[in-house]
Amino acid sequence: MNAETLERIKEECRKLPAEISYIVGFVRKQSEPREVVAVLKPDEVDKLSFSPLSFNNPARTVMELAKDNKVAVIAKGCDARALKQLEKEEKIERENLYIIGISCPGVIDYRKFRNTVKFRLAEIDSVELIGDEVVVKAGGEEQRIPFSEVIFENCLYCEQPTPKDYDVLIGEPREGKVDFSDIEEFEKLSAEERWSYWMDVFSKCIRCHACRQVCPMCYCNECLVDPSNLAVSPMTPAEEKAAYPRVLGRTVNAADNLIYHIVRVMHHAGRCAGCGECERACPMELPLRKLERKLEKVVYEVFNYSPDEEIPFLSKLDILPEG
Amino acid sequence: MKVYSGNFLKDVITRLLEEGYRVYAPVKEGNYHVFRVVKSADETDFDYINTKKSPKEVTFPENEVLIKYGEWVEELPEQPDRLAIVGIRPCDVKGIRLMDRVFLEDITDPYYEAKRKNLLIIGYACNQAGDYCFCSSVGIKPYSSEGVDILVTNLNGRQIVEVVSDAGKELAANFELTDASAEDIEAKKELEKKVMESFTRKVDTENLEERMKRAFDSDYWREVATNCISCGTCTYLCPTCFCFDIFDDGELKGVRIRAWDSCQFPLHTLESSSHNPRPEKWQRLRNRFYDKFYYMLVRKGELYCVGCGRCSAACPVGIDIAEVIDNVPSEVE
Repeated sequence: MNAETLERIKEECRKLPAEISYIVGFVRKQSEPREVVAVLKPDEVDKLSFSPLSFNNPARTVMELAKDNKVAVIAKGCDARALKQLEKEEKIERENLYIIGISCPGVIDYRKFRNTVKFRLAEIDSVELIGDEVVVKAGGEEQRIPFSEVIFENCLYCEQPTPKDYDVLIGEPREGKVDFSDIEEFEKLSAEERWSYWMDVFSKCIRCHACRQVCPMCYCNECLVDPSNLAVSPMTPAEEKAAYPRVLGRTVNAADNLIYHIVRVMHHAGRCAGCGECERACPMELPLRKLERKLEKVVYEVFNYSPDEEIPFLSKLDILPEG
Repeated sequence: MKVYSGNFLKDVITRLLEEGYRVYAPVKEGNYHVFRVVKSADETDFDYINTKKSPKEVTFPENEVLIKYGEWVEELPEQPDRLAIVGIRPCDVKGIRLMDRVFLEDITDPYYEAKRKNLLIIGYACNQAGDYCFCSSVGIKPYSSEGVDILVTNLNGRQIVEVVSDAGKELAANFELTDASAEDIEAKKELEKKVMESFTRKVDTENLEERMKRAFDSDYWREVATNCISCGTCTYLCPTCFCFDIFDDGELKGVRIRAWDSCQFPLHTLESSSHNPRPEKWQRLRNRFYDKFYYMLVRKGELYCVGCGRCSAACPVGIDIAEVIDNVPSEVE
């Protein structure tokens, strides 16, 4: 996650197979140090950037683009995991992808970073991860921040820092781990304590749907828990309209928000890539990964399934145990 | 210009609560501040650049019951008779004034009006621009007293109080205020200069109306929307986004509710004919920028962006209103 990583990315992008029409990578924003996902032509390699602030997951953009194009994508471990999942669900064809995998030490939590860095965002020239330190350079000055102070908490429990499936890999492979210690800790609370915790969390939700929209797994055209976007058009026949489940109104309060979040998360059983985009996207900074991770734990423990298996979770549920 | 020796913002809250006001003030929740109804001045925290959500909720809540119905309209909601918002920044005050022009000009919205006409506004001047702030580029001074009843400035730990309106005068009469000295006035001017210099973002609004007009069909908007996920974050946090939808909750008995809507949602513009003028996300995103920087400019003569930077700071995919407007192509093929 330093200048060398970027050089390696550019090097690989310069020698892409000829049939690749786009590169989905990261480009630095004009007025602040973070990167955003960008779609580039193969001759725009020089625009690429990469740093521990390249935290977004490019899978959604790739899903759109790879329908009719061959696409090269710069993918961290979780990004590749999302791509793999989309491939399993027949949303992406692997042969349309050229994955430049990055062995990822974790990304920065931009909110923590903004609170820690002493420079104005616009002044920052570069942000690199060197060893255990984030090195921020601005106008000839330098600030070193221990990575542990600004790391995105989700990355501490990363199962797959190195992409499992790639065409080229940049960096030495890293070991992931299955660690639910945070969830186990949370489970120790009483039911009442957990209830009041979540009701407090959900009372803050404004139902902007950012968590769903940003999620690579939430690609449904119609969402069961989003009455503002159920695709009932005025031409929809009455019978069809009547058949639409009305799970939720547009009332925004802790109880309804809880339904929205729980139903949404339940649809990710055995599918979530663990990238944490939902939590990063939430304007109200709600701990949404905690819900997903609880579900992941159940899937591991009760169904003995890992999202890295080749067959989808739901199809595995159909296989009856022998005997 | 007056000086108050204590903490005016907190003392004014105590006073307003005694007088029976419903008071909205900044409260720290986790890592950010939001405006909440407070029961005591102790709940508040004024150490903030700006709040996460805009205070538009005070007059235009995310959910608002319009009527309760059974066989006929059974009940109209009661409106609070005295409301106050304490510690609001000048950009957000401008936001309220722009909302006024939507809800009170031409057709008067009774629900909005009921809250707005009883709203006391105690402003709080900025001493430092945030990393996403650009109000100075859209014609707002971060220490402006326009639209407030009283403006408070924190000057080296002392509170400078400017009483602006009659209602403000009435309230200020309850406090011991001394005239500001020539030095204070000088120091405040210095501070204002310092604030203006603290902006790291500027947006080029030169000839913007013409530029926007010409750029409408540009591919630029598709490019800007590449990563857009069509969520409602930008519109929900925006102090001037006013779109809403009305629906009934309950069949024979229930409530009619007005809820925020967003032009970023695909069904927002779906017409009765099944035609949707903005079916693609880039068209919806373009609409938001045109609404702020062109349509309202043409209709009302004012930009409908106050430069608070909330949408840029919160956009999950890093779309930045200041950059987008700054880069609108001036030459279109």
